[in-house]
Amino acid sequence: MKLFYCLLLFVTPAAFAQKNIQGKVTDHKGNALPGANVFLKGTYDGGTTDANGAFAFQTSESDTATLAASYVGFEVFEMKINLKESMPAMSIKLEELVNELNTVVITAGAFEASDEKRMAMLKPLDIVTTAGAAADITGAMQFLPGAQRVGEQEGLFVRGGSGQETKIVIDGMIVQNPFFSSLPDVQSRGRFNPFMFKGTSFSTGGYSAQYGQALSSVLLLNTTDKISNNGLGISLNLANAGLNYDYANKNQSVSAVVYYGNLRPLFKLVKQNVEWIHAPKFKGSSLTYRWKPTKNGVLKVYGMYSDSHLSMNSNNPASDTGKMRLVLKNNNAFTTSTYTDSWADGRWTINSGISYSRNKDKMTYDGVNFDRFDERTQVRVVLTRLLTGNNTILFGAEAHAINLGNGVDGQLYKLKDRYTAAFIESEIYITRALAGRIGVRSEYSSVISRGNLAPRLSFAYKTGRYSQFSLAAGQFYQNPDYRFLYLNKSLKYERADHLILNYQIIKNQRTFRVETFYKNYAQLVREFTGQQYDADPYRFPWGATTNGGEGYARGVDFFWRDQKSVKNLDYWVTYSFVDSKRLFQQFEQSATPTFISNHNISLITKKWFEKAKTNLSATYAFTSGRPYYNPNNEEFLKDRTPAVHNVSIQASKLQSIKGNLVIFYATVDNILNTRNVFTYRYTPDGKTRYAVGPQSYRSFFVGMQIMLSKKAKVEKDDF
Amino acid sequence: MKKLFTFAWVFVFATGIAWAQNEKYTQAMGDGIKALNSIDREKPDPKSLVDIANRFERISAAEPKEWLPKYYAAYANVLLGFVAPTLTDKDQYLDKANVLLKDAEGIAGKPNDELEVLKAYQSQIHLAADPMNRWQADGEKFAGFLQSAKSINAENPRIYYLEGSSLFFTPEEYGGGKKVAKPMLEKAKQKFSAFKPETAIHPDWGKMETEWMLSQTN
Repeated sequence: MKLFYCLLLFVTPAAFAQKNIQGKVTDHKGNALPGANVFLKGTYDGGTTDANGAFAFQTSESDTATLAASYVGFEVFEMKINLKESMPAMSIKLEELVNELNTVVITAGAFEASDEKRMAMLKPLDIVTTAGAAADITGAMQFLPGAQRVGEQEGLFVRGGSGQETKIVIDGMIVQNPFFSSLPDVQSRGRFNPFMFKGTSFSTGGYSAQYGQALSSVLLLNTTDKISNNGLGISLNLANAGLNYDYANKNQSVSAVVYYGNLRPLFKLVKQNVEWIHAPKFKGSSLTYRWKPTKNGVLKVYGMYSDSHLSMNSNNPASDTGKMRLVLKNNNAFTTSTYTDSWADGRWTINSGISYSRNKDKMTYDGVNFDRFDERTQVRVVLTRLLTGNNTILFGAEAHAINLGNGVDGQLYKLKDRYTAAFIESEIYITRALAGRIGVRSEYSSVISRGNLAPRLSFAYKTGRYSQFSLAAGQFYQNPDYRFLYLNKSLKYERADHLILNYQIIKNQRTFRVETFYKNYAQLVREFTGQQYDADPYRFPWGATTNGGEGYARGVDFFWRDQKSVKNLDYWVTYSFVDSKRLFQQFEQSATPTFISNHNISLITKKWFEKAKTNLSATYAFTSGRPYYNPNNEEFLKDRTPAVHNVSIQASKLQSIKGNLVIFYATVDNILNTRNVFTYRYTPDGKTRYAVGPQSYRSFFVGMQIMLSKKAKVEKDDF
Repeated sequence: MKKLFTFAWVFVFATGIAWAQNEKYTQAMGDGIKALNSIDREKPDPKSLVDIANRFERISAAEPKEWLPKYYAAYANVLLGFVAPTLTDKDQYLDKANVLLKDAEGIAGKPNDELEVLKAYQSQIHLAADPMNRWQADGEKFAGFLQSAKSINAENPRIYYLEGSSLFFTPEEYGGGKKVAKPMLEKAKQKFSAFKPETAIHPDWGKMETEWMLSQTN
């Protein structure tokens, strides 16, 4: 026992003998890591590395200890060491953790706007602050690489594809009527408010097996999970007046919107090229409810209803007067409900949804009724399993019931489609620098009684800390346009094969991206009328049809964005080149379709003036001439329209009025008053040519948004 | 008898070690807090902040049952998230602060007003790094954390200091400004004068900043 006390007395002073520990901390390439924490585990002894990665500290520990080193973004290093009086210098190499900068992401064909992902090229706010986009989501997407601008129609025209070849998807559910009802030669706006969404992904091809029924592109919109502004808001502009109310508590929130619009005052101020008999009048409302029942679960229910009424005299070269009186009444409803959750520490995720949409257009052309009706019910479930090393596998299924009706002067034509699809897809990280995504999608459509199997494949390889290559390929199927199916239900799917190669470098708030693609079109529907080509875009196809069509599109896009060089100035430039020919519809020979413009350039700038609290934005867009049909030219679709130029500016100013935030905005579109022409049409005798241009040339728009926010003020109750 | 004596000896000796250990902990924490307080508020030196953050992390590695070392390490990382040069650097420190805060919550085991306050501070600094794109999401988080801090302990003066500072730095156009902030800062001052930290090493920051801001509102 005595020995024990002696030992105690003996050991204690020995412990005071200080030992020096020193060395250097680097990454695996040998670069010094300044600010790393080096210490003996379980003790307070340690130090921080200096600018050269060197560290030195003293310890009074003896025998063995665990030397640990940690650094932000790197794996923790641990090593058992023997403590001696004189320690040799240590060299510690740290391994980087998986993060957004050192891990490859599959990007071919995708263009994202997101707040959550640091590598996203756009922020959701960019969509509302782009001049010329009119705060319309698809309006802003038209300026992105790969998109072609077609002024007289709505829809996204992507890489040689028509507007019908792009599907718009909200939280995984296909939106049946993303735009206000189409009118002859007038581009309709999108129905959805950009503030509803937290993220947007615009795919210009090679997209995931999770989506289908789009030969060219999908635009994926994800709604926000939470609301940010508790209270009442008022919006007032030249076209409409609206109220919105948000209320949130800990786990639930509700947003309600009502609006009424009438374009008559605006049309009084801005000269119209369209002859309106009754300027559009519309009213609508929406209600959103969100609930977090569990830690990771979110239930969202969204419902909207709108109706509109208008009447116009549209150009009709075929009629004696050259005009045709159109009256349109539209009712539209869309509801969607989605539930997402994850469990087992995030290893399993479920995304599910159910949606119903209904749209009714009551139209008369010169007193003859043309009614359109459609409804779509859809359900969708996707399960994702996170595997080790960030690899994932997902599988899912969807089912749609689609009912369509077209009425012509009291005669109703109906079509019914029951569409189902199943898909499986896996993302595999071979190394941090090399990743692949392999998927397959299978579909069945009852209206044509056919199925298909579409493989999708992409790869990405990281070439440096900020740069990478991606490659995407796949097959994409879409049902023939429903207008053909009324008369021929034995048609096959139309098909497109995509091959995309992409290089991008994102560094220091500057982005450069180049993407080249080849697209093969097969099984396109051809129509044989035995008559001369009919250029009327609104004709109903009545000829015999086959799937004998084909075509191609090839080209290259560039994108450059710089948010760094000038303070508070942000600009981006895009250039898209496409070369495309098709044999389809009534074409008797392969030709470039009328919606193709070979060159699209846009320059977008935004500047924030801190003192004036004003954001100024200007956009220049150039679209090269498009083919149009000239019955007097023996060569089919050889004529080209002149190029379209558009300069637009937008200013928005923030102001506090009695403690409430007010945003004023003003835009001028086509400030140079350029007499743009989108296409030409001919009278049936081929003698007179009509130009089809924008609804108005130079136009302006002003408005304001008031947020009566409860949170912006300190109230008595707070004390 | 002899056995009992030995037992007593060992007992005394063991508690002695435990006591020494405890004192060592308090001492190390106190030194770290002193270093933190001596940082130049107007121009904080990132290098010394990293050093202080590392110091608290070492203590936390040695004292896995204490939440305070994690708390102070997180606090230092939040300050780094403010002074770091680029957005990427700021976000790295702020992400790290989040991880430390999660650990601290796990150790504390029950809802803790100081941790909620620091989470609010973290969201405030995260917002400040990129206000145009983050004010919506982070503003909401900030308010949410302060609300839950209030529900745990409404007497915590740092709640009102953060609310006041948020108004102080919010432009008048968004309903903020020095004038609007003044009553809230006065309330914070009043709460600070009544506040006593649980021990010398429990959180006790914000008073100086409150007074400075108040002096600017006149």
